[in-house]
Amino acid sequence: MKFSYSWLQSFFSKKLPPPKKLAEVLTLHSFEVENLRKEEGDWIFDIDILPNRPDCLSHLGMAREISVLFDLPLKEEEKKIEDKEKKIEKLVEINVKDTSSCSRYCAGLVLGVKVKNSPSWLQKRLRVCGILPVNNIVDITNYLMLETGQPLHAFDFDKIEKERIKRRSGKEVELPSLEIRRARKNESFLSLDNKKFLLNDDMLVIADSKDVLALAGIKGGKKAEISGETKNILIESAVFDPLVIRKTSSKLNLITDASFRFSYGRDPNSVREALEKAILMVKELAGGEAKGIFDFYPTIVFPKKIKLDFEKTRQLLGLEISDKEIKEILKKLGFKILSENLIEVPTFRLEVDIQENLINEVGRIYGLYKIPSIPPLGPKVMASLNPSLFWENKVKQTLKEACFDEIMSYSFCDRKDIDNFFYSQDQVIEIANPFSLNFNFLRPSLLIGLLKNIAFNQKNFSEIRIFEIGKIFKKEKNKFLEKKMIAGMILGGDFFELKGVIDFLLERMGIAGVWYDSFEATSEDSQQEVWHSTRIAEIKLDHQEIGFLGEISPLLREKYGIKKEIFAFEIDFEKLEKVATEEMEYEEISPFPAAIRDISLIVPQRVRVDEVLEKIQFISPLIRDVDLFDIFDGIEEGKKSLSFHIYFQSKNKTLSDKELDFLQEKIIKTLEKNKGWKVRKKEE
Amino acid sequence: MEKEDFQEIIKKIKKAKDFDSLKEISESLLGKNGKIALALKSLKDLPLEERKKEGERLNDLKVKIEKEIKEREEFLKRDFLKKEEFFDVSLPGKKIKTGHLHPLTLVRQRVAEIFQSLGFEVVEGFEIEDEFHNFDALNIPPWHPARETLSLGKTFYLKNEKRYLLRSHTSAVQIRYMETHNPPLKIIVPGRVFRSDELDASHEIDFWQLEGLMVNKEVSLANFKAIVEEFFKRFFAKNIEIRFRPSYFPFVEPGVEVDASCPVCRKKGCSLCKKTGWLEMGGAGMVHPYVFKAVKLNPQHWQGFAFGFGLTRLAMVKYKIPDIRLFNLSDLRFIHQF
Repeated sequence: MKFSYSWLQSFFSKKLPPPKKLAEVLTLHSFEVENLRKEEGDWIFDIDILPNRPDCLSHLGMAREISVLFDLPLKEEEKKIEDKEKKIEKLVEINVKDTSSCSRYCAGLVLGVKVKNSPSWLQKRLRVCGILPVNNIVDITNYLMLETGQPLHAFDFDKIEKERIKRRSGKEVELPSLEIRRARKNESFLSLDNKKFLLNDDMLVIADSKDVLALAGIKGGKKAEISGETKNILIESAVFDPLVIRKTSSKLNLITDASFRFSYGRDPNSVREALEKAILMVKELAGGEAKGIFDFYPTIVFPKKIKLDFEKTRQLLGLEISDKEIKEILKKLGFKILSENLIEVPTFRLEVDIQENLINEVGRIYGLYKIPSIPPLGPKVMASLNPSLFWENKVKQTLKEACFDEIMSYSFCDRKDIDNFFYSQDQVIEIANPFSLNFNFLRPSLLIGLLKNIAFNQKNFSEIRIFEIGKIFKKEKNKFLEKKMIAGMILGGDFFELKGVIDFLLERMGIAGVWYDSFEATSEDSQQEVWHSTRIAEIKLDHQEIGFLGEISPLLREKYGIKKEIFAFEIDFEKLEKVATEEMEYEEISPFPAAIRDISLIVPQRVRVDEVLEKIQFISPLIRDVDLFDIFDGIEEGKKSLSFHIYFQSKNKTLSDKELDFLQEKIIKTLEKNKGWKVRKKEE
Repeated sequence: MEKEDFQEIIKKIKKAKDFDSLKEISESLLGKNGKIALALKSLKDLPLEERKKEGERLNDLKVKIEKEIKEREEFLKRDFLKKEEFFDVSLPGKKIKTGHLHPLTLVRQRVAEIFQSLGFEVVEGFEIEDEFHNFDALNIPPWHPARETLSLGKTFYLKNEKRYLLRSHTSAVQIRYMETHNPPLKIIVPGRVFRSDELDASHEIDFWQLEGLMVNKEVSLANFKAIVEEFFKRFFAKNIEIRFRPSYFPFVEPGVEVDASCPVCRKKGCSLCKKTGWLEMGGAGMVHPYVFKAVKLNPQHWQGFAFGFGLTRLAMVKYKIPDIRLFNLSDLRFIHQF
């Protein structure tokens, strides 16, 4: 809210501190002054009033705050309303029908006013506070809203429809008549600024027998608008339920100075005073005769009483502050000390409910910046390590060692990504109120972000190796699935390079028992088309699928403008994390030399290398390692040749040629037992 | 071989200009047909006593000559190495191939390390949350102005699932954790949060926050100040001052805004702190009794502090990153700098 320095000054006889000083002190004790600038010879403060301080949405409230912070007394106000008790029931009929949404309704009637421009001082005060002057009547209501915080509204009294009303005496009279009620479904309302709104029954209105005259607490209507011809006015000052106001504001997307204040809550005990001030000002600036005030206030709100524990005050703030100081601060703020620890809360501080609210007041007036640093005492809590984060960091470190760059991408993706990756609508989670059409789904796979990242970075890099660890989101059987995944993607590499990286990663996580199975898609697996039709493997841990490794389908990558082959993997991190272990064991290094023998084997095309490797390794414990170093396809129709280095080593002795020959022969014999397998002789 | 001879020989060795001439000298003295060998051969005609004496003398000489030659050889080697080449040390070192971690990971790791050493456990939570944990239990009932004013009104909801949303702050994890753990507690929660805010150099819709919570019998704002001061000192590796200002969050009371003295200008005023000397790091305060009740803890028995900082912002300040969008864009020219 904008505050005028000269307006604030008008509440004090003594001179206020300079504007800059005022802004500094307010920022440290009350609210952040976001901006301070000179305008029309005045200083304007832009102050961010916190939601718990509706009392300060007014110059009066801010003056009270300043009075406390600088120990400056507020001027005594002169009260000079005439005929305070004059009633207007004989002149107007007002009926509060929804009493739960309107706890107090006051209205004052002034007859014979002259509508014209306001004096320039008033216009200027409105202008610097961001409100455009209209005419003296409207300006007075706005002025008093800025001064007291109480929104007011003036109706053209003669525009209110008259109704025949039966008096208790039996006499029938015809009177302008208003009711405060819920709107009817689809009832229409034409606002001051000529906008038409369709209302519903959770909205509150001020209406005559025919039309809605105002949207209660939010905006006035066209029908009873104050115009140049207006002679007689009815000024409203009321309290409406904050919840009703907020809901209506939000539904109609209509936030006004009034609705903003009502939605934070108003003190019903200040309602009449604001109206009295308004009537006084109208008489001064527009002439006319005040006929009296209607006041509906069925349940009077009394000040709350709260017990304050002074020790708790010191304990929560961590401040050495005496009981006396605490009481002094509360008294200055307008709280009453009823007995040793019973505090009475003025009704204009309606948000103060519990002792912690009082402690907050004490802390900020004393100065939160004065709180010292005191290391916490008491039993030490041992921080246990978060295993998931431990492994996450370990994986990141490992992939970094393997020359991968870590990226982060949006958790969102768009409709095109969903379609490109072959997800159906019931597998993905859509945002009800997306930021834009590029962000209307939650990513069901990390591959989307990685692919987009490569599409972006390929102009600067011919080789890219990236990974991301993050959450993916899917719908499964109408339940939300939120899962941590690890995925990587490379440009300028090949399948087996990436497979090597996964092997390295799993080794570092102490995970054994992972193998790669050729992927056989079932018809439900729509995602299979993300991958190249044959260069794709299921990564399996024992018998469970934990992820995929393969080449991204050329059709898919081309949609993202990527011309070169890319390979990727995506693995369920939560499954990995469960089996990961830090345990390692030293294996004795043999002091005896290793011997290498090569074997070339011809097998049918469809025989998998891991099958061959397993068979060789099974033959003797003296076979330390087997390395495939060549695959040759064109040897025979439907056959391929595999060449291996086989490493022999014993822990007890150096192996003799004779022993090596024997082992090699054994390997050859074993392998050739398989149908269609043949070991190539050296001479061949 | 006579004494003068020997002196001559030593001189010759000392003057040898290169390895070749040294080798020649060495050969002429110690070789098969060298002077020493010849002298030894000529001894065979001498009487035993003399032969023995002369033999010892020659051996002695041989050892001395060998030593001289070795010294000269080392001298020549050193000399040779000196003259060998022009070695340009200013040539660039070979680039090491390695990967790079995202700056937010580096900041998260550092933050976790600091808080762990202060006894805080690192906790994670759900990114899809329900209204109860994101709002209600945090004393933000439906239609509470805080749902709008604290930019929490900008919460993303899931389509056709009105109660579910993307968490708009990590404070939701406070509730999750207190529902399942008994005090005393000390946790931090680094995590992604989502807000339908602007998307420009200083606003993101998908960014990281750092939540903290400590609950015990007696915990005060002064305790929080000590913790947060220590954290910032270590994080920026500078002497950082902390200042509290009044603020309001429905789930704490008293609520404070935490300002840290600007690590760049040390309160002198610069472009980072907009000439104020202070940086707003986030909100904090003492856990509201309502929150304790919502997780079925007795507010009479427990008190605690909670805070929420912008983790992405911490990274921006630490590495002087001017545009928040760089994090999710992950341009590799950006990533390679870390």
